[in-house]
Amino acid sequence: MAQVARVEQQPAATGSTLVVMVGLGVAFLLFMAFLNVVKSGNLLNDSNLLYAALIFYVGAGTLYLAFGITGTPSYIRFASLSTWVGLLATTGAVARRWYEAGHPPFASIYEMLLMFVWTLAVLTLVAEKKYGVKVIGTVTMPVAIVGVVLMQLLRTEVHPLVPALQSTWLHVHVTLAMLAYAACALSFALAMMFLIQDKMKTETFLAATSLFTVATYVGVLTRFEKWGGLSVVAWNPEEKSEVFLSKGVRLFVVIPDLGWMLLLVLAAVAAPSVLYLIWRKTHDVRLLDTANKAVFLSILLQVMALLFFVLRARDGRYTSLDADGLFQTSLAASPFILSGIVGGIFVSLLYLLLLWRRDDLQRMLPSADELDRITYKTIAIAFPLLTLMIAAGAYWANRTWGSYWSWDPKETWAAITWLVYAGYLHMRITRGWRGRLAAYFAILGFAVVMFTFFGVTYLLPGLHAYA
Amino acid sequence: MGASIHSVHRKIWQTLGAIKTGVILLILVVILSAAGTVILQRPATDVDEMQRAYSPQVLRLLDGLSLTDVFHAWWFILLLSLVSLSIISASIQRFPNAWRFFSRPYKSPDESFRKALPHHKLIPIQDEEAALSVTDRVLQKAGFRPERIVRENSFSLFGERNRISELAVYIVHASLLLIFLGGIADALFGWRGFVTLTRGQQTSQVDPQKGSRRTLPFAVRCDGAGQENYADGSPKRWWSDLAVLKDGQVIQRKQIVVNDPLVYNGIRFYQASYGRTGKIDRLILNATQRYGQGSKEIAIGLGETLPLDADTTVRLAEFIPDYVVGDGQVYARSNDLENPAAHLVVESKKSGQPLNVWLPPIPGLEQNASSPYSFEGKDIQMAYFTGLEVSHEPGQWAVWAGVVVMGLGLALVFYFVHVRVWAVPVRDARGQLKLWIGGTANKNKDVFEHRFRELVEQVESELKISVQADAEAPVSALAGR
Repeated sequence: MAQVARVEQQPAATGSTLVVMVGLGVAFLLFMAFLNVVKSGNLLNDSNLLYAALIFYVGAGTLYLAFGITGTPSYIRFASLSTWVGLLATTGAVARRWYEAGHPPFASIYEMLLMFVWTLAVLTLVAEKKYGVKVIGTVTMPVAIVGVVLMQLLRTEVHPLVPALQSTWLHVHVTLAMLAYAACALSFALAMMFLIQDKMKTETFLAATSLFTVATYVGVLTRFEKWGGLSVVAWNPEEKSEVFLSKGVRLFVVIPDLGWMLLLVLAAVAAPSVLYLIWRKTHDVRLLDTANKAVFLSILLQVMALLFFVLRARDGRYTSLDADGLFQTSLAASPFILSGIVGGIFVSLLYLLLLWRRDDLQRMLPSADELDRITYKTIAIAFPLLTLMIAAGAYWANRTWGSYWSWDPKETWAAITWLVYAGYLHMRITRGWRGRLAAYFAILGFAVVMFTFFGVTYLLPGLHAYA
Repeated sequence: MGASIHSVHRKIWQTLGAIKTGVILLILVVILSAAGTVILQRPATDVDEMQRAYSPQVLRLLDGLSLTDVFHAWWFILLLSLVSLSIISASIQRFPNAWRFFSRPYKSPDESFRKALPHHKLIPIQDEEAALSVTDRVLQKAGFRPERIVRENSFSLFGERNRISELAVYIVHASLLLIFLGGIADALFGWRGFVTLTRGQQTSQVDPQKGSRRTLPFAVRCDGAGQENYADGSPKRWWSDLAVLKDGQVIQRKQIVVNDPLVYNGIRFYQASYGRTGKIDRLILNATQRYGQGSKEIAIGLGETLPLDADTTVRLAEFIPDYVVGDGQVYARSNDLENPAAHLVVESKKSGQPLNVWLPPIPGLEQNASSPYSFEGKDIQMAYFTGLEVSHEPGQWAVWAGVVVMGLGLALVFYFVHVRVWAVPVRDARGQLKLWIGGTANKNKDVFEHRFRELVEQVESELKISVQADAEAPVSALAGR
């Protein structure tokens, strides 16, 4: 009751201050961008449209987050307005690209990212308007922002389609994949919300957050070099592509001191889980307070590491252990590190949001039963889509390579994803799994989806070289 | 003794069909196939790379366990067979029950069923027949197609939708088996191979990926092949004109491109590659008479002899796309058209002596000056080969049929709900006449709950209307209902 009162007492003035500030920021950035555009004389190309989309997504993300923290209802109105405008700009970019290329934009990683951002913005609005899950923008907007930033760095010219990709079945396959993965992402977000509504302890979220970030930074730090540097893939700015020593062997450059920085971050994100473990033994509540402070500290450190990485990756040339000379690199060369750090910051922020505003969140979200049901329903949509996606891919492969199934890693992982969700459905239907167990399974399923989508492309070799 | 063996069989059969077994098998499939994507796999990765990636001991271990070719290892195939058996066993064990449910729907609920059903309602009524006909109308409108069930001492109403949804799971499982069956058929009887053809060439021999050379009962001929490029030079399209010949007769012709194969007799030919053979198709030359004005253009193929005039002929004896000279010999350095040389032999009846003409002139070999004609190269048309992937997959139709059936099955599983509604006139403890309405759905119970409430409300309101209409028929117009 006290929580409700507090939210309602928020003076309207503070609410509008932030909206005005964000509005002014957006207007200022647009104006600056407009000056540049007038100079170049080319108003509606896709990079301008995407820049506009980026500005509006940043505005929307800020407001969604502010809504999550303060619960002021006016934020959400302006946040969705901003998302709408951003979506409009993205749609323009998609349409322009489609028109220019003469085929739907599914052929390169750039175009896939474009479609991904578009789908994400649409889903955000759908989830908000149709299901009343308002805080979802807090999660999706930052992801959209990272997507747009990455796109700025990738090769943008319209590529002619190589012969193997000139097939309607490809478009069917990719569209189904995007829809299925988006549905999986939604089921994941809903499962997380279920856990919040299911009175899962905040400490457990603390441990999960800490474990996730530790895993992320351990993954990033596998490229730690002896003198405190970090190996990053070299990047050829003219070609806008990675530098290869030979077929399939990438050239790495070492960014000095970045390794130390990330090691420090790792220590900071590991601290909460250590404190959590000690708390499990001693039940000393002060330990949890310290752990929460450590999360806050770790966010600051992660932001610093991100800035450091962004600045160093953009400018300068670095030595390589594999070849003589100095080479450049770029953010686009290392989407792993970038999304790792952004993901880490983001998950920690979400934890803080949960820690501070749990009651408000619980009030805003649908009930646990309802979330459990919606999670199941999204998977009931995702699973047939996954099935059809695999089938369309197999049919296309059969027409192109003469074999519908060749066990290449992407295919195999798509099948694994399918099996995981099949397992979920069996346990739910025959064993009556509800609640926690089902939610964990939905989270696992989405982790596998993410690995199939990103991990296989960057870590494992195979036929799916285009995406 | 016999009985115990029988019971062991039974036990195995039941264990196979248990959901736990199924899940354990699925987990094993997941783990092993994940391993197959992380460990480099044999036919796809070349030997050098394997040796670079793993130390000899590790490689020997991986090879010994077939972990370098997981998806064709005997234990993986065994695992997939076990999965199939598990699906079969589970379906056979559970199917009779579902079939009974499907084929003999429960139409007139008894008292204990009526009490236990979660969604039911009792509505006070005056007349059994009137109440049932009202309910009949409401159900009809809701799309249930209700039927009257008449028993010795009772009569009631039963309506349902999408009964097929009860069997949907079996349809999905059957479709999965169908896909497996197709896959097994292809693994046993299917093959893949490769054929290389140049223009005009024909063959019925295919080099398969595994096993010995295969002879087809027909031949394929390439009548032309080519590449089209985008403005930036990257390839846009590869094509080959293929003809199928049987006993020297052309039976089928098709221009194939990537994504669009030629199919004959269940054997499919895919455009896979395209490139230079390093051999010449045609050399275009200008031949000028040395002691006259006559000049003409000729197109000559390798080994071909062409008349230049009544007395003189020319033959293209050799063509080297990239030549070097050493020790008075001409050697080919590569198959690329870098530094071409042509060896012509000019024969004239007058001299009776074949003369070697080299383009360009190669000192020590050429007799260009003595030739009655001088030659000038105009164009070199190289021969291209088209690489065709050949595959025979007799099981693929089972796979596609399985996919279609699975799509239908999944649609039935997820989006078609078996809804049943009963209406029975009963008397409660105090002897009052009531209409018991109950309903159940096999999934999406929350949506059904809502819908059931609506149905009941509709019946209630319609009943009131009809009751009022009966009782107050004369004044209903005044009362405004």
